[in-house]
Amino acid sequence: MAKDVENITIRIAEIMINELKLEDVTPETFDPEIDLVDEVGIDSMDLATIALVVQDEYGIRIDEDDYQKLTTIRFIAEYVQERM
Amino acid sequence: MKTVSSLLDEEWHKRYKSISRLNIRSSIYDVTNRCNLRCKGCFFFSSDEDKVAKEEMDLKKWEVFIDREKERGVNLAILIGGEPTICLDRVEAFYSRLPTFCATNGLIKVPRDRFPHLMVGISLWGDEEDEKLLRGKDTFPISSRNYEGDSHAYYLYTITPKQIGKTERIVNRIRDVGLKIHMQLLSNDEGVEEFFWTHEELKDIRAEMDDMLDKYPDVVISSNYYHEVITTGKMFDRQFGWGECPSVTQPIDRRDPRPKHLMGFIRWASDLKTMHRCCTSETRDCSTCKDGAAHMSWVMVNKRAHIRSEQDLKNWIEVYEMFAKLYQFIPW
Repeated sequence: MAKDVENITIRIAEIMINELKLEDVTPETFDPEIDLVDEVGIDSMDLATIALVVQDEYGIRIDEDDYQKLTTIRFIAEYVQERM
Repeated sequence: MKTVSSLLDEEWHKRYKSISRLNIRSSIYDVTNRCNLRCKGCFFFSSDEDKVAKEEMDLKKWEVFIDREKERGVNLAILIGGEPTICLDRVEAFYSRLPTFCATNGLIKVPRDRFPHLMVGISLWGDEEDEKLLRGKDTFPISSRNYEGDSHAYYLYTITPKQIGKTERIVNRIRDVGLKIHMQLLSNDEGVEEFFWTHEELKDIRAEMDDMLDKYPDVVISSNYYHEVITTGKMFDRQFGWGECPSVTQPIDRRDPRPKHLMGFIRWASDLKTMHRCCTSETRDCSTCKDGAAHMSWVMVNKRAHIRSEQDLKNWIEVYEMFAKLYQFIPW
């Protein structure tokens, strides 16, 4: 299970880097614990963009009311894993 | 990857955190098609927006509509018109349900026993001469009497090209009645002679706005970066216009690619069904638009673009703080 979350974490990081065109970071170097709002500067529109891609990728639904919980890549990966 | 804390010291990081999660979801509402003035250059009348929709007169329908807006996630209702204070029952319907801001020409006073904390933005176009020419009367004597010393009111001072060199007198007039001031520039929707901006005039007024903020920081709610963006129309190497505007009504926004925008933004007509194109007039030339809120929002929705240097991020913070103060999400 931990391996699944790890794999999902890397993939979420990759999605985030591609969709938001983040620079100077790779999926492997993207700290999964870093606060996405407070540190990376992601806003609700960014999160909506990521959510769409993640929903398609994993066949799950991300409730907009849950956005505020998804503050790190780790939390997003665990959220996805719970719903798969 | 640049991060917020790598760019900011503790004090600025604290300021960033106090606004970064505000998650403001605004929409704009034409409270009525009627007004007690007819100003040349008012975007509402200049593009016949008063004729687009038949005003809903049933207060109950307004209440149901506002409840739906709240469910939709709106947390800031910006009331315009026409003149919203002509319909205080509708204003109250918003105020009792949502954080609400009311734009007004200030001729009708919002009763404070009924609306104790309603933020009111009072329009002022240039000086006495500009007001008489463009609005038919100088509204300042009446609006300033109505709102003197009001801690939930400020003047939205729309600067015209004729105001270059004269803004300090206006700032002082407003300061003398115990009010604050926010500045924007005239967009001259009706093409009134002598009220178009030249490139040189925009440079001059930018310097003057900076000077006013520097001299009167307790009165002027603004930021130097906002002055830069609104006078140049530029943010980094990007030009403000239709392709960049963040305040286009979302359900009818067909731009491709879609730029960063205000989430869930709608500008509603007074029939509670029709949606206007954007936060100002449908016939406005976006490339010359000088709307303050649109330019502020443009900066605000492009946060990550500003996470590239300490100064850029500080600029973003100051603009967001300015917006948050004007709409009472943070104190003055």
